[in-house]
Amino acid sequence: MRRLLGGMDVFTRACAGWMSLMVLLAVVGPFLPLPDPREADFEASAVGLFSPGHVLGTDSNGYDLLSNVVNGARTSLMIAFVSVVVGGALGAAIGIVSAYRRGRIDRVVNLLFNIVLSIPNLVLGLALVAILATSSDPSVVISPSRRVVVIMIALTCVVLPVLGRIARGATLTWINREFVVAARSMGMRDRHIILRHIVPNVLPAIYSVGFLAVGVVIVAEGALSLLGVGVVDGVSWGAMISRVAGEFTFVPHSMYVPVTVLALTVIASNQLGDYLRSRLDLREGRL
Amino acid sequence: MSAVMSIRDLVVRFRTPRGVLEAVRGVTLDIPEGASVGIVGESGSGKTVLSRAAMGLLSGSNVDRSGSVTFDGAELVGLPRDHVRQHFGTGIAMIFQDPMTALNPVRRVGVQVAEGLRIRLGMSRKDAAARTSELLAMVGIPDPAAAMRKFPYQLSGGMRQRVMIAIAIACKPKLLFADEPTTALDVTVQAQILELLAGLRANLGMAMVLVTHDLGVVANNTDFVAVMYAGEIVEQAPTTELFANMKMPYTEALLKSIPTVEARPAGRLPVIEGRLPDPTDRPAGCGFAPRCSYAQARCREDHPPLVDAGNGHLYRCWFPLAAPARRS
Amino acid sequence: MAGTGTAHLRGGDAVLKATDVNVRFKVPGGTVQAVSGVSFDIMRGETLAIVGESGCGKTTLGKAILQLPPPDSGSVVLDGTDLTSLSGEALRAARTSIQMVFQDPISSLDPRMTVRNLVAEPLWVWNRGSEDERDAKVRELLDAVGLEPDLVLDRRSYEFSGGQCQRISIARSVALEPAVLICDEPVSALDVSIQAQILNLLQDMKERYGLTMVFISHDLAVVRAVSTRIMVMYLGKICEVGDPEAIYSRPAHHYTSALIGSVPIPDPTRRTGRTPLRGEPPSPMNPPSGCRFRTRCPAASDRCAAEEPELREVSPGQYVACHHPRG
Repeated sequence: MRRLLGGMDVFTRACAGWMSLMVLLAVVGPFLPLPDPREADFEASAVGLFSPGHVLGTDSNGYDLLSNVVNGARTSLMIAFVSVVVGGALGAAIGIVSAYRRGRIDRVVNLLFNIVLSIPNLVLGLALVAILATSSDPSVVISPSRRVVVIMIALTCVVLPVLGRIARGATLTWINREFVVAARSMGMRDRHIILRHIVPNVLPAIYSVGFLAVGVVIVAEGALSLLGVGVVDGVSWGAMISRVAGEFTFVPHSMYVPVTVLALTVIASNQLGDYLRSRLDLREGRL
Repeated sequence: MSAVMSIRDLVVRFRTPRGVLEAVRGVTLDIPEGASVGIVGESGSGKTVLSRAAMGLLSGSNVDRSGSVTFDGAELVGLPRDHVRQHFGTGIAMIFQDPMTALNPVRRVGVQVAEGLRIRLGMSRKDAAARTSELLAMVGIPDPAAAMRKFPYQLSGGMRQRVMIAIAIACKPKLLFADEPTTALDVTVQAQILELLAGLRANLGMAMVLVTHDLGVVANNTDFVAVMYAGEIVEQAPTTELFANMKMPYTEALLKSIPTVEARPAGRLPVIEGRLPDPTDRPAGCGFAPRCSYAQARCREDHPPLVDAGNGHLYRCWFPLAAPARRS
Repeated sequence: MAGTGTAHLRGGDAVLKATDVNVRFKVPGGTVQAVSGVSFDIMRGETLAIVGESGCGKTTLGKAILQLPPPDSGSVVLDGTDLTSLSGEALRAARTSIQMVFQDPISSLDPRMTVRNLVAEPLWVWNRGSEDERDAKVRELLDAVGLEPDLVLDRRSYEFSGGQCQRISIARSVALEPAVLICDEPVSALDVSIQAQILNLLQDMKERYGLTMVFISHDLAVVRAVSTRIMVMYLGKICEVGDPEAIYSRPAHHYTSALIGSVPIPDPTRRTGRTPLRGEPPSPMNPPSGCRFRTRCPAASDRCAAEEPELREVSPGQYVACHHPRG
C-alpha cells in the first residue's frame, strides 16, 4: 500500500483526497450537525451560497443543499460502490472462467455480453426500473429504499458485461503464457491455476476499469433521476439534480452544487483508476 | 573510401530514478560507403542504444545525447526531429529483430510496402503497386501479387522479415541499420536472410550496420567489426584482421562461447562467467576485468584507453593477447 | 509411410517410448498434421535432441509427450505406463514425472510471484514437505542452478535477465525430481554468451538429479554439446535419427546436411561450403506426396513423389528416411 501511495503527483493526491472526503461524508453524514435534508426551511428558500445556517444555500423547496450533498453521498456512493463491486466481481468471475474454459460456454457468454452491451445504459436501467419498481396500482407507493435496491440491480447489470469482457480479454492473453502451461504440466488443478496465476494478473485491469465504472455509474444514477426513475423522493445527488431540473434558470446554484460535486467525484475516480493501472502494470511500473 | 556516417564521441545518458545511466560512453565509429559494419555485444552492452542514437531515434526528456553524428556530411545531433526525419527511408532505413511487431498487424503487406513509395517518392497508386511487386520479388518472396494481399500474421517469420527488408530498401537508402535481424529466426532462415542482405547490398551499393550478439553471424557478413562492452567499443578492426589477430580477451571469450557443429567440446562448454557491470555503478578500471581470466591489478584500477595497433585495428586492453595465442 | 517406421527403436528398457504418435489441429480451412506417425525411445540418462525448423512439429511433439494436449493417436509409454490411457487424477499425478523448460524465459514465469513461490510451486501443488522443508528445498534448487538464494528469493521475475529467468525456470522444473525433462528451445532466446552457461547448467542438473532429457531446438550447433542422440524432423515426420557423431560427420539426409550448412562458422576465411536451403517448408495442411522434403531437396527424383521413404539403417546406429541418402 505504501508503494501505491508513494509517487502520486499533486493532481492524483487531490483526487485521492476528494474521494476520501466523499467516502468520509457518506459514512459520518447523519451524525453531522446539519439540517435534515428532507426538511424544508420555508424562511429561507432559494437562498444563495454562504447564507446564515445554509453554507451552500437552499433550493426553491427550502432544502439545505449542503445537507443533501453530504447525505446524498451516502446513497450515490453506495449505489456506485455496490453495483461496481457486485457487477465487477460477477463479471470478472464469469469472464475469467469462460475464457479459461473456451469452447461453447465461452461463445455463449461472449454473445450474452455483447447483447447486453449493445443496449444503451439508460435504456437498460429504465427498463429494469420499470419492471421492478413501478406499480400499475397508483395507490401502492414504492418506497425510496426499494428504488435504491432496484437501481443498484439495474446499474450492476450495466457494469457486469463491461468488466466481464475486460476480464475475458485479459484472461485470453494470460492463458497463452507459458507459465500457465508450466503450471498444468506440474499437475496443478484448474481451480488453482485460475486463482494463483490468472486472477492476480487480470485484477489490475479490473481495478482500473472499475474506478472508471464508478464514475459512469454515478453519472447514470443522476441521469436516471433526471428521467424520473431514480431515487426520486430520496436523498441522492441524482435526486437533487432531478428536483431542481425544472427551475434551473431561476435558482441556478441549486443545480451547480450537486453537478459540481458529481463531476469532481467522477474526475477523481477516473484519475485514481488511471493511476492504479499505471502502478499495478508491471511493465509501466518498472521504470 | 569516404564514410556515409561518422559517429564522433557519441555519449548517450538516460536519467532514471536510480541515477544517471550512461548507455553509450564516447563511441567513435565510421561507416564507410557501401561497407558492412558489425556491432557485436551482449544484451546491455549498449549496441542497440548506439544504433538508435546514431539514427536519432531516441527521444524523451530523460535522454541526453552529445557528440556528433554526421550522415552524408550533415550533422544529425541537435537537428530538430523533422529535419532528421528527412533522412529516413531515402537516406537511412532500418530493420528490426521482431518483424511481427515492426509491421502493422491490421494492414495488408502491399499497402505497408507501398506507403513509403507514395509518401517519400510521390509515386501514384498504380506505380507504387507495380514497384511493390518488384520489391517483394527482389527480396525473394514467391508470388508477390498474392503476398501483397496478405496480412503480416499470414506470413512466416522469415517472410515477414523479407517484407521488412522490402520496406527498408523501397527508397534506395544509402545506409541500412539491421538490429538483430535474424535472432528470432531459425538458423536455416537466418542463412537465407543474411544471403539476401549481402546480395541487396551489392546491388544497391548500400552500407549496412549489422547489430548482433553473435560473432558467428558477423564473421562472414561484414567488412568491419566493432565489439561493444559496457557502453564502449573495446575492439574494432576489419573483420578478417579481427578474427586473425584478436587483441581483447573479451572478444576471444565471445568467440569461444559460440556453439559450433564442428568438434564436440570435451566436457563443459567455455563460458564467460559473471555479468556486465551495473550501468549506474561501473568499476573504475576495465569493465571486463572482473570476468577476465587474464586480468591483473592494473586492469581493476586504470581504465584502458583505445590503442591503435595499425591496420585500422583498435583495442582497449592493458594486456592484449599475443597474435598466436588465439589458436588454442 | 514416409519418414515413419520403427526400425530405429531399440527395445530394452526405455524410460520413455513413443509409438506412432499423431497430432492434428483443426484450423480455419482444414486440418494441420503437426506430427505424423513419429516413434522414438529414450534410454535412461540419454539426451535426445529433436531438431528441425519452425513448424516441423517438434514443440507439438514435446507437448504431446506431456499430454498437453494428448496425441490423437499413438502411445506414449513412461516407465511402463501408457500416458495416453490416463485421465483425470491419474494423469495429473503422472505428469509430474515429466517436466518442461520453455523457450521464453520471461513468459514462463508468473510476473507477480516471488522467486520463492515460483520455485516452491510444484512442491505446494503436491503438498510435499512442511513449510520449512520446502524452503530448504527451494534454497537447494536455487543453489544448484547457480543463483544466490538470499539475493533472489524475494524478488520477482522481471528483475532478472533472460539467462537468470531460465535458471529459475530450470530450478522449478526439477523441483519434483522428474524422470524426464523436456527442454523446448531453452537457449534460443538468449545471447550467445549466455547460451553456453545454460547448456552447461542443464548438463550439471542432468548428472545431479539423474535426468533423462529431450532437447528441442532448431539449431544443430546448440544441440551438439548436450545430446547423445539426434532426431531430425521435417513437416511432422522423422528424417534422420541416430548417433550424433555419425550425423554430424556424415549426415545421410539432405535436410540434415542443409541444417548443418546453415550454422554460421565464426571464421571469415571459411565458408560453410554447403548451399543454404532454399524457400520455406510447404504448408502442413497440404504436405507434398511421398517424401515431404522433396520440394526443397537437391536430390529429389520421381520416386520421391510417388513413394514415401521409410527409416532404415545406413550405418551402425544411424537411420535415415530417404531414397537417395548422401554417400
